[in-house]
Amino acid sequence: MSAKQTTLCVPLEVKPESCSRLSSLINDIRIREDKSTPGQENFARIIVNVPTLHFLSMSVFAAGDYDPMFILEANFDGPVGVFWGQMEAALSNDLREIVRCCKRPLDGDGKLYDAVTAPESAASIAAYFEKRTQSPSVFHHGNRGMNRDRILREHALFLTVRRELDAVDTIDADPYRGLEPRPLHEKLRQRVIADHPWLAQVPIQRISASEKAFDVLRLLLYVVILIFILSLPGLLLALLLPTAAYVAFIIVAAVLVAFLIYRKREPLPGTGIPTTFSFLNLLWQQAFVVAAYVIAATLLLVPTVVIGSYLIATLVPHETLSLSEAFWLIAPAVALGLFSLIVTVPLIILRLRYLEMHDSSHDAPQTREHLLREMIRREDWVAQNHMGSIVLLKPGVLRTAVVRAGHLGLGLLLRVQARDGYLGSMRTVHFAHWAFLNNGSRLLFFSNFDHSWDSYLDDFIEKAHAGLTLAWGCGVGFPPTRLLLFDGASHGRRFKNWALASRTVSRFWYSAYPTLTVDQIERNYRIASVLHKQTPSDMEVRQWMLDL
Amino acid sequence: MSAITSNDVLRPAAKGLKRRLMAAAMSAIPFVFRLMRRFYPIAGFGSTYIVTRYDDVREVFGEDAAFTIPYKANLDVLTGGEPFILGMTRTPDYFRQLVALRQVMLADDLPELGRSAEAHAEMIVSAGNGRVEVVDQLVRRVTFDVLADYFGVPEPGIGKLDVWATRLFEFQFASSPSDHALRQEVEEIAPAFRDHIDREIARRKSDAASLERPDVIGRCLKLQAEGEPGYSDVEIRTAMLCMIVGGPPQPPMVVPQAMEQLLRRPEALAAAAEAARANEDDRLWKILREALRFDPLAPGLTRIAAKPWTIAEGTRRARTIPKDATVIAAFASAMMDERRIPDPGRFDPDRLNHEYIHFGHGMHECFGRYINRATLHRMVKPLLRQPRLRRASGPEGHLSKNGPFSERLVVEFG
Repeated sequence: MSAKQTTLCVPLEVKPESCSRLSSLINDIRIREDKSTPGQENFARIIVNVPTLHFLSMSVFAAGDYDPMFILEANFDGPVGVFWGQMEAALSNDLREIVRCCKRPLDGDGKLYDAVTAPESAASIAAYFEKRTQSPSVFHHGNRGMNRDRILREHALFLTVRRELDAVDTIDADPYRGLEPRPLHEKLRQRVIADHPWLAQVPIQRISASEKAFDVLRLLLYVVILIFILSLPGLLLALLLPTAAYVAFIIVAAVLVAFLIYRKREPLPGTGIPTTFSFLNLLWQQAFVVAAYVIAATLLLVPTVVIGSYLIATLVPHETLSLSEAFWLIAPAVALGLFSLIVTVPLIILRLRYLEMHDSSHDAPQTREHLLREMIRREDWVAQNHMGSIVLLKPGVLRTAVVRAGHLGLGLLLRVQARDGYLGSMRTVHFAHWAFLNNGSRLLFFSNFDHSWDSYLDDFIEKAHAGLTLAWGCGVGFPPTRLLLFDGASHGRRFKNWALASRTVSRFWYSAYPTLTVDQIERNYRIASVLHKQTPSDMEVRQWMLDL
Repeated sequence: MSAITSNDVLRPAAKGLKRRLMAAAMSAIPFVFRLMRRFYPIAGFGSTYIVTRYDDVREVFGEDAAFTIPYKANLDVLTGGEPFILGMTRTPDYFRQLVALRQVMLADDLPELGRSAEAHAEMIVSAGNGRVEVVDQLVRRVTFDVLADYFGVPEPGIGKLDVWATRLFEFQFASSPSDHALRQEVEEIAPAFRDHIDREIARRKSDAASLERPDVIGRCLKLQAEGEPGYSDVEIRTAMLCMIVGGPPQPPMVVPQAMEQLLRRPEALAAAAEAARANEDDRLWKILREALRFDPLAPGLTRIAAKPWTIAEGTRRARTIPKDATVIAAFASAMMDERRIPDPGRFDPDRLNHEYIHFGHGMHECFGRYINRATLHRMVKPLLRQPRLRRASGPEGHLSKNGPFSERLVVEFG
């Protein structure tokens, strides 16, 4: 069975008068757990008592528009309830004190808050955090399907392999020198398997076939529903107009809207950034989505209509529809509805373009000097870093709908596409997620990544500026965007300033494997995968040797 | 034969259909708990409530001001009205007695207790000629020999310590108020037991040499001589009586239950045997502890609501317990709660400490937990080391119960 990983956050509104105390509490936890002294194991209690945990952070976001917000972010293996049980066992008193610094929820969780914050309370603090947990709107799991134990185990194997190869290099009779790949593999496997007996077992599949199929199905369902909703105006119109008139109307409207978009395609003065990104190419790449829609919609709707007609026939006798009759009734309707998308989608883009042209962007976001210094002080101690950010979202029904639908779609798409351990061409993200806060008026972003924050963002700006603009362009003050995908994050310096201003200090941050990069974990995995096999193919072994 | 001179550790068991029905009911408990956790987690039956989920069981144990222990009335019968921590609420006297006990029962004693338990067990297994009865011949014998010696309470001249202690234990923790026969026996045994300890204290005080013995009574008397409060003769007697009644009767209940669970799981038994042979005591303890999760000491422990209290407040299952209601905190169910225990049906000795509630939780967590931690696995270690350890053929090869007590389990080896 593959490993189920979970990403979540718990946002709790802080009592303004308790904000300093809360920050101190979190600092105290960090000082107590993060020994940072040679010879003492960092975070020993968490390592032992929360063995499912990959990353954990606790931050306090202060803002002028809202009271401070405490956010606990966690990435772990296995069921949520078990994780919170472990957290309670490890940090019960700390978590209870933290909750005492936060406001009593005004929704139905008020009584639970009272129970867990009462003096000498023995009520489950795990239950409170579980109840206040918020799921991400979009998340990415690097090294997907690798549970913490496996990551650590395979890294231990890597170190054994390195020691074995390094040790023999120092003596004259190097038993590996001159060996063909397959005998080398066999010999090395024999040497390391005693210390790593799990190599003799069949490795657990990182992502099971059923999980992959489920991911694809969910994406397909999303696409079908989204396109169906966008097709609805066209479907209704098709019912009112003769087909020829309808088609003519759609074509004329589409040309008109396209013309208007074309007129507004130019960037606002001084905001254009040259890019190699092509929207037409993107559309062409997504051609399968259109085909999938037609197939899925037809497959779903035809049996529904046929079964429905038979059911009705049992109640009110009338002539039932055959399968082919139903098909020829539904398929043209689907096609006509789909055809209307050439108007609906550009119309939405046109409206958004209008909004974009009137957006305000933040040229000089304010940053608090002392926070900046704290952030810098905590960065680059190990291979990984952590960031948390909250931005306000631009208002409006259309934008809200687009952002919500966009996040949902992006999340589903990532599950289908980011299966190889990486986020597209970016090879530095361990766990990242977005979540909507305060009734969707703010957007939270957390990331656990390799290397420094600067290079992390450079990586994004360089390789995924269009995606970044799409995902974050809804933020108040975001650099000027064009047609949702262009410019925006391509303004490297402005984007970085904007992102920096939205960050806060990661007061407590824990990584179960702080020295390992995403790349190294994948490398360890590849090495272990081939060492699992008694007789890998020649090609596999040659490829494997490049990783040693 | 009077209760005092009886040789029968357990009272006669139910027979025939009643026995079979009781056994069936006991074996159905895990399934019933599972249903309750899902559909009726805080179940009320009249003035009795059964709490089955992990969070709620810990809450009941943890809220000791709301849920008090029900032991005082019976305990007074045993001690002649003298107070002991088991019957106390959170008062200064409770903590004074607790400190007094901790001063004479030391962490440094534990390794020797473990060694002694193993050595005693080794002798019994060696003399067994390939066949051992686990409940009485092995675990009860080892427990009472080792702990009576540790406390400094010898066998009485007339009667047997294990019979007395077990009968009083049954009265204290597992009896019904309508069981007049048991009450009658207890009223005979308890004064005799107190008298026996009193005489032993007097004997020790009159013998300067025996005062130096480093057992628990010896340490108490030494502190008494130094004028330390909390160690009067009556206080020492009460403490020794309660420790012997509350402690040694339990290992013969739970260790055979753990053995039975291991015998049902060949892989776990093999792992336990491997740990025993390799002298990996910690590993062996973890295996035994996990085996006990599938059949712990009891389904639950009883508490009495001292005031109205809402368990699981703020959740959909919240339920207000009225004052004076009886609450059964089903820790056996809690240790199987999939909401907090990962894959609870899997035998996994590497579980985390918080996943076990064998010794209760909170203020009244079992005082003897450290002694149990040091000795339980060592009692069966010599047995587990034997080659081809297996059940004896026939019914005696399967653990039989007499009420809450393990009665008989015979294993063979070699």
